[in-house]
Amino acid sequence: MIILKNLTKKFGSFTALDNLTLTVPEGEFFGFLGPNGAGKTTTIKMMTGLFTPTSGSIVINGFDIQKQPIEAKSTFGYIPDQPFLYDKLTGREFLYYIGGLYNMPKAECQSQIDELVEHFEIGDWADKRTEEYSQGMRQRITITAAFLHNPQTIIIDEPMVGLDPRSARIVKDSLKKKSKEGVSIFMSTHSLEMVEELCDRIGIIKEGKLIFLDSRDSLHHHKSKYDGKLESVFLELTK
Amino acid sequence: MTFSRTVQSIVKNIGSFIVFGSFAIGAFLFSRFLTAYLLDNAKIGLFLFHRFVSMLFFVFFITINLGNMVVSFSTLYRSPEVNFMLTKPIPHLTIFIIKFLDNFFYSSGTLFLAGFSVLLGYGSYFHFPWHFYVVVMLGVLVPFMFLAGCTAVIILLALMKLASKISFKALVGALVLFYVAQIYFYFTISSPINLVREVMRYYPNVDLYLGQLDPPISKYLPNFWISQIMFFYITGKHSAVVGYSSLLILSSAAAFIALVVAGDRLFYSTWITSLSLKSFSIKKFEFTGTVFSFRARSHLEPQTESLLKREYWQFFREPSQWIHLLVMLLLVGVFLSSVTSMDFGLQNPMLRTAVYLVVYIFDAFLITSIALRFAFPMMSLEGDAYWTIRSSPIRASKVYWTKFFIVLCPLFLLGLALAVLSNVPYILLSPLPQVTTLGMAMIAISLVSLNFGLGSYFVNYVEKNPIRIASSQGATLTFLLSIVLLVMLVGVFFFPILAVFNTIYYQIPKKDHWLYDALGMLGIFSAIVGAVSHSIGVKALKRDV
Repeated sequence: MIILKNLTKKFGSFTALDNLTLTVPEGEFFGFLGPNGAGKTTTIKMMTGLFTPTSGSIVINGFDIQKQPIEAKSTFGYIPDQPFLYDKLTGREFLYYIGGLYNMPKAECQSQIDELVEHFEIGDWADKRTEEYSQGMRQRITITAAFLHNPQTIIIDEPMVGLDPRSARIVKDSLKKKSKEGVSIFMSTHSLEMVEELCDRIGIIKEGKLIFLDSRDSLHHHKSKYDGKLESVFLELTK
Repeated sequence: MTFSRTVQSIVKNIGSFIVFGSFAIGAFLFSRFLTAYLLDNAKIGLFLFHRFVSMLFFVFFITINLGNMVVSFSTLYRSPEVNFMLTKPIPHLTIFIIKFLDNFFYSSGTLFLAGFSVLLGYGSYFHFPWHFYVVVMLGVLVPFMFLAGCTAVIILLALMKLASKISFKALVGALVLFYVAQIYFYFTISSPINLVREVMRYYPNVDLYLGQLDPPISKYLPNFWISQIMFFYITGKHSAVVGYSSLLILSSAAAFIALVVAGDRLFYSTWITSLSLKSFSIKKFEFTGTVFSFRARSHLEPQTESLLKREYWQFFREPSQWIHLLVMLLLVGVFLSSVTSMDFGLQNPMLRTAVYLVVYIFDAFLITSIALRFAFPMMSLEGDAYWTIRSSPIRASKVYWTKFFIVLCPLFLLGLALAVLSNVPYILLSPLPQVTTLGMAMIAISLVSLNFGLGSYFVNYVEKNPIRIASSQGATLTFLLSIVLLVMLVGVFFFPILAVFNTIYYQIPKKDHWLYDALGMLGIFSAIVGAVSHSIGVKALKRDV
């Protein structure tokens, strides 16, 4: 579960996020949309501990990210928008490294890695250094790393970057499955089709403010007022 | 908020100006003091003094040469910026020249400042006019450094060309041996100790030009030309000054032309070769089935194990890191082998104190250099992948201290080794060797703390080249603060060590408690430096990524 309360982030005089309040209950697949520069990545970076909020609170699975960061971080997996890895480690070594950071026992880490490497069809690439990887392969390793410790929550910033259609399908199915298992998923994306396909609820942010928050079903109602496309709803709301 | 950031920026720049300015003043005063001391007190004469200057410039040349070579390898063959520019309609020669000049000036900033300050100190002793400094900076120092930089990159291009036919590992090994051999043969042929003895035979006519004492081969070296320029300027032989200056400038120009020709012919083809070297590593030593492997079980708790193993592989799989470390350790080895057999046969307690302190300070300077190169960039080398740590359930302080101890242990041991071996000629002068060895241990800890802590404060996750990180403004500031620490070391130990040698030569009562007092002061100061550096460093880790 994710609770964002009066969350604000300022960079100097610029307000990147203004008083955001929303809750993502257990098992919900939440889609976070917005135009470029709206504050999506800023929100996610605050949720994952990369940024410190100017004000407000973030509670993830019962733990305040600022007051109990270790406990909070142990409950979620994070997939960033740009999958930067340690160039000199192989994919497999990177996964072991992540497993260690989450205090996973070695045996469990090993079996999880073997299973996920097979699941995400990483194959022999797992034993090559990440400096040789394509963008898509880096993304697959990053997604694998987020799934490794069986988190209660997954926070994703643009999951489909660089993924071929087959990999994208595998990732979508995996996320859907996790959501059905009770994992809360908070996903920021530009892909409206993905949002329509996967998300239970959708929030749209513009210039740091939440301008739309409703279920997918409710969105269908809005779509009917336009040409039946989510794109048109989005463009109208964010113009 | 904007106003306070502007104020912050102004304060930061004023702070930098004060530190750089203080360093410049310190270098000036030190240079002037040393010149005056050697010529007026020690009375070594103009000729010998300038031969020491020549040796200093030899070391300077090798340092710039190696530094430029390593930096240029990273910039020309590992830089995403160069990769990007090569896909654009920009002539590869243009890219090559721009990156070479960028490297040269980026890594030479501090050296220019230091060089100018030392030159001012030297020149002020002789009361040179203002145009001397302009001429020497632009006509001597800059061409000298430029010559070193150009030859470095020419050698690099040749190496990379050969790498398409011969194993790169073998080439690197041969290069390292070549540099070690150069240093060894230079100091064997120049033999500073013999030179001092030979010159002192002419005492008190030691200001004469004693060129017959110079080994023939040294006359072809640019460091020799510099000492000749200085010597003949002082003695009024301006034709010789013009001659050697012209030689230096022409050599520098010729080196640059050779570099451009070599770059035009070799840069692109060697860049292609470098792509196949991308997975270059010391695979033989990777020991994938051993304790360093991520699969291997460990007694350490998982987070510490992960951090240690990651640091290990990131370091040893990056050639620019371990090669540079190897080169620095080899230079340390060469220095140590010289210092343990050094015996000037000096009788004067003041001179013996000066020699002792010079060696001691140089030991600390070696630690400073290695700490700057490897400890300072450590946090920055997390790079863009730092998100893995910040979003993981691991405390920033744990990451900080784990990385700190990784870099502290080898440097602490090196500091101890340097102190112990430098004290070999003084082994019977207890408690001097013991106290100064302990002092070196404290200095090593505070130097590493300073570099690591400020490296975290001045962190730059975007820059991937550790050498450029270690040449940044923050690194320069840190280096200057390290030099201040070394100056304090001299201040604290000078009189206690002088008292030790006075006891031997003048049979006055021992003052061992001065040594212990100095050690105590050093301990307190080291503790303060460490505490402040670490508190700044740990706090800086919590900044937005």
